[in-house]
Amino acid sequence: MSHLKKLESLLYRLITAPSGVAEGLAAERALDAGGLDDIVLGDERLSAEARVDIYANMYFYRLLDALKEDFPATLAVLGDDNFHNLVTGYLLEYPPTEPSLYYCGQHLAAYLRDHPVREGAPFAADLATVERAVVEVFHGPDAAALDPDSMRAIAPADWPALKLGIQPSAQILALDWRVSELLRAVEERRDWTPADRGSHRILVWRRDTRVLYRELDQAEADALAAVSRGATFAEICEVVAVDGGDQDPVAAMNRMLARWLADGLLVRG
Amino acid sequence: MLKRRDFPMLGYGVGLRRQHYSHVLETRPSVDWFEVISENFMVAGGRALEVLEGVRASYPIAMHGVSLSIGSTDPLNRDYLRQLRDLARRFEPAWISDHLCWTGVGGRNLHDLIPLPYTDEAMRHVVARIREVQDILERPLLIENVSSYMAFADSTMTEWEFISTIADEADCGILLDLNNIFVSAFNHRFDANAYIDAVPAERVVQYHLAGHSDHGTHLLDTHDHPICDAVWALYERAARRFGAVSAMVEWDDNIPEFAELARIADRARTTFETATHTANREPLKKTGKPALPADHRA
Repeated sequence: MSHLKKLESLLYRLITAPSGVAEGLAAERALDAGGLDDIVLGDERLSAEARVDIYANMYFYRLLDALKEDFPATLAVLGDDNFHNLVTGYLLEYPPTEPSLYYCGQHLAAYLRDHPVREGAPFAADLATVERAVVEVFHGPDAAALDPDSMRAIAPADWPALKLGIQPSAQILALDWRVSELLRAVEERRDWTPADRGSHRILVWRRDTRVLYRELDQAEADALAAVSRGATFAEICEVVAVDGGDQDPVAAMNRMLARWLADGLLVRG
Repeated sequence: MLKRRDFPMLGYGVGLRRQHYSHVLETRPSVDWFEVISENFMVAGGRALEVLEGVRASYPIAMHGVSLSIGSTDPLNRDYLRQLRDLARRFEPAWISDHLCWTGVGGRNLHDLIPLPYTDEAMRHVVARIREVQDILERPLLIENVSSYMAFADSTMTEWEFISTIADEADCGILLDLNNIFVSAFNHRFDANAYIDAVPAERVVQYHLAGHSDHGTHLLDTHDHPICDAVWALYERAARRFGAVSAMVEWDDNIPEFAELARIADRARTTFETATHTANREPLKKTGKPALPADHRA
């Protein structure tokens, strides 16, 4: 191993040591007798250890701040101390590997699912799942949305075989807790109340550059799943007819179609 | 050999930050150019790219990265470089810059600018990587001096010898951050003026002007304060030595209103004119590359 690689590896371990540079140093058995002072120059203002510690602090707090920005509602329900502890463990389990801070929160919801901190807020992992989706949808790929005029221009004979799609950035999430109202309350700086338990799906999508989300009922969730997997319009109508029960399937399909178009959700399949 | 005159003189710009997106797009304020953080736009789609399209239609830009990690002993991240190259092909920046440092090792990223030891080994390592990066990006790279809080016992040269040798050997440009020189000079007790006087003048293509915070024992490069008088004095010294160099105001925390940033950029212009007038130089003749019309780009 080159001298430079040894130095970078050592500094990486010290900067990311969970209990600080001092404890990190104690674990470095391969260091010469002079220890860190033989490697990093210290002076009467700052020791070698204190200088590395500046980087250790910046590492943690830069990532903590980035995660606070991406997960404001999760932070609100867990509180500062719990969120701090969550992030401490998270960075050990999932240290950043990507060049952009955009990715640093990509595993937080999964990590939170098994973390003791969620005992006081069992809905927190679902909340973090939606918040992460909001970030991903915000930066997701663009596609031109279909508008009512382009739909009206389709010949009646072409409708049964018509294939539609949904915005490539859109996500449909399966959740166990109804967190959307809580998230909206935090976004609007209102008081929030804990989420109720209830399996459901939520759509997160982008209209122009604004990220939106809303709960889906079973019929719409199934219909959108059919759209996403490339079903023809006739097949989507069948899904709606089966799910709709006593509802008029044509009216139900029309309502959904009108809403999807208004939402800017549909693209050419 | 790379020369500053190979690059346009963009004038006096500011860093494009999210807080000012709407203001810039709606009012097209009078500022010469924008520097953008490359990684913020290395995304699939959405508002960031839409904003950059709008800004680029009216202003020249330079792309400034934070994650190239040119000094890392990890292999170069070719996916990252391809994305960077594609972004540059799309938005045609006047140049691309990143920092003379490392940001991670072992496949992990510290998201911080960690200094290198100033050794022959590190110098040769970085030179080889810059050459490779320039080939992939299909254009020269500017390397920026970083603020640092630690220096290494193994270093065998000064920081200005290190960056100058690398720039000469790799044939790349230099983005001289005058605040970083001031911060590191305080933290490591070297002479900031000696730094300005030593770097190869023809390779200095851009300046950063920024503020820092004073922690008593050390200065921290926080970009959250006004530019201090001592950094303005370094800028005057640099202006007299290097002549017309594109300058940019960098502010990343406690970000003021855009008008304040534009005012500081204007101060950079008048400071340059005053400093160079005293030295009987030619007045600045702006040769900034005009922004491309939107329909000339994919």
